[in-house]
Amino acid sequence: MTAVSYVPPNVLPPLLQKFAPLLKRKWFRALVLVPPTLSRRRFSNKTEDYGVFKPSRIAHIAQVSIFVQDISRSHQWYEKLGGLRHSRTCEQEPHPFKEGWRIRCCYMSAAEHEECLVLVEERDPEGKVSVPSGMSFFHTAFELQGNRLEDVLAFAAQAKQAGFAPNYGPVRHNGEPPLGDGETGGNVACYFYDPDYNNVEFCAAMDTIENYRARYGDAKGSSRA
Amino acid sequence: MNAPVRNAPIAAAKLQHHVIYVSDLQRSKDFYTKLFDLQFSALNHPDSSAAMRLADMEMHFFSFGFYHHDICLVKHHKLKMDNGSMLHFSLVARDRAAFDAIRQRAKEVGVPTRDGRLIASAKPLPGGRAFCLQDPDRHWIEIIEEPSK
Repeated sequence: MTAVSYVPPNVLPPLLQKFAPLLKRKWFRALVLVPPTLSRRRFSNKTEDYGVFKPSRIAHIAQVSIFVQDISRSHQWYEKLGGLRHSRTCEQEPHPFKEGWRIRCCYMSAAEHEECLVLVEERDPEGKVSVPSGMSFFHTAFELQGNRLEDVLAFAAQAKQAGFAPNYGPVRHNGEPPLGDGETGGNVACYFYDPDYNNVEFCAAMDTIENYRARYGDAKGSSRA
Repeated sequence: MNAPVRNAPIAAAKLQHHVIYVSDLQRSKDFYTKLFDLQFSALNHPDSSAAMRLADMEMHFFSFGFYHHDICLVKHHKLKMDNGSMLHFSLVARDRAAFDAIRQRAKEVGVPTRDGRLIASAKPLPGGRAFCLQDPDRHWIEIIEEPSK
């Protein structure tokens, strides 16, 4: 099957990917934020953590289904890079909400999460496969085995050895050098584009209700950036 | 920082969080907090986040109550979002009461629901339940009550 070559508009161009690691430098972040700092908008639109963690009605995310042009190509990518396991690929079935359209689904499992990812080929009534737009989700994220900073670094190294280049990372989403990029969440992460430019994060060590206050006390993100 | 030596390759353990594009942050924030009681846990604003400023985006983070964030809503200030790269995502209700409360809340605010799993080939849930609804940007969301709950 021949996939159409399409680069969604939100994809970071290769040249900018090379400069993205500069976000780990505090001086660079300050430089980028000079205009809102001078106009004082930076202080009225603070980037910050709220540290508010109460139970919601949701326990966890069970599944994400994303469009791909070629199940075989994508399933190999997730298997080789992320270590996901192919559970099953189904025959074509009616599209759940587009009359006359059909879908074919490939169910992928992570080490501790059965059928968490569904790779979907969507076909119009003429049988033509849809080209994913890249504009429904910014990224989807998998937690890595081990769930430590070191595991993300080792994962990034193993990905590089296997020929996969991240579009961003490894970084840590806080302000702590040397990996911190000034963002929030505390997760250590690296991001890769799949063959259809769906952005996929592999991460670990995200802040939790248990360690947030232990690490930061009552300090909000803006006061520790 | 050097990566440590490790013999076995590291693989993904589980789906951890999902970040979706929305067209109106306040409208979506109202939807996700009212229906699911998601907790607003962080804001990344282009006036104070270098990454958001460069990408021309604003990101609102929401927690299910344990991790810093589980669902994030992103508004791209230059590009228009669409429904062309994701079919749906599924959320597991905390328990039976939460499942019923979400459905009740959807009814109260006039969000149509449809019973059963969204994808016909998805694994059945013997002893469990599922229904689907759409958020204000027409992202399909499947709500699941796991059999063990």
